[in-house]
Amino acid sequence: MELMSLNEVSVESKILLLRGLGLGGKEGLVVDAEGKKILDRYLQIPVKIDNMVIFPGSTIVLDNNELSITMYMEEFGEDALG
Amino acid sequence: MPSDNPISDITEGLIKASVNLSIEKIESIIKGFKHKDIAFIKDNETINIVKEQQKAIEMKLYKQYIKDKSLLLLIKMGLTLRRLENHREKLEDLRDKIFRKFSVNGLHICELVQTGILSRYISILIERVISIEDLEREINIVLNNIERHTLFVTITSTSRTTLKLAFQSISLNNPSIFIISGSGTASKIIREIATQLRNILPHYELEKISTTNKEILFFKRKIA
Repeated sequence: MELMSLNEVSVESKILLLRGLGLGGKEGLVVDAEGKKILDRYLQIPVKIDNMVIFPGSTIVLDNNELSITMYMEEFGEDALG
Repeated sequence: MPSDNPISDITEGLIKASVNLSIEKIESIIKGFKHKDIAFIKDNETINIVKEQQKAIEMKLYKQYIKDKSLLLLIKMGLTLRRLENHREKLEDLRDKIFRKFSVNGLHICELVQTGILSRYISILIERVISIEDLEREINIVLNNIERHTLFVTITSTSRTTLKLAFQSISLNNPSIFIISGSGTASKIIREIATQLRNILPHYELEKISTTNKEILFFKRKIA
């Protein structure tokens, strides 16, 4: 699996990517198809579009921080980080 | 010329572009995501830091004695805090997230690792216990009951309250080893009370770790 950095991608393109995954963007945050804020799987905090990490499978959306990513790795294994 | 790896071609183009993506490219990326060939990250830095801690020698050492996954996660986060010590903003952000998720005791376990106290604590224990089983049990007891074995002095603490809290905790819990730790202003408080505590705790011997900004006291109960 390739880890694709979205750091240099425009917000507009990120929103199009989110839409392609059945999600969306609203007021700088990642939202679901109904416009509800998506929360980080482990910390239960809203995820900013500029700081999002999305893993495939069940489309797991995380805030880009060491705790969430470590917990993801604990749950899905080191290989899940590419 | 396109390479043999179409996904790589897509991402390389993405990095070079640094702009809006074409509809075709977005569709191609989404297809890669749905096939589990691609994950979206902000940057590689956070991922690399996480992977580094997983492979750290110190982490492998702790895994020999600690089996509880929740404790191992906190230990990993302690190593991560240490790794971020030169990145003030990221450090504070992570501390805040650890505190919100695991409360004050969870953060204190992380700090025990971050400051190097846990590794020193284990080496003191090695001098005092007979078997590996005893060592494992003692390490797990201190981590699961951290408030009975440690006192973290903060910027809001005073010499008087720190002295009182330390004495109360040691009298009440009779720990084999009691740790007092603080940095910055708190380290001055610890230096002020170290001698007084040693005088009122005759059954303990004192070991100190001092740096310009950090003060750690290990009160070790004397072995009869």
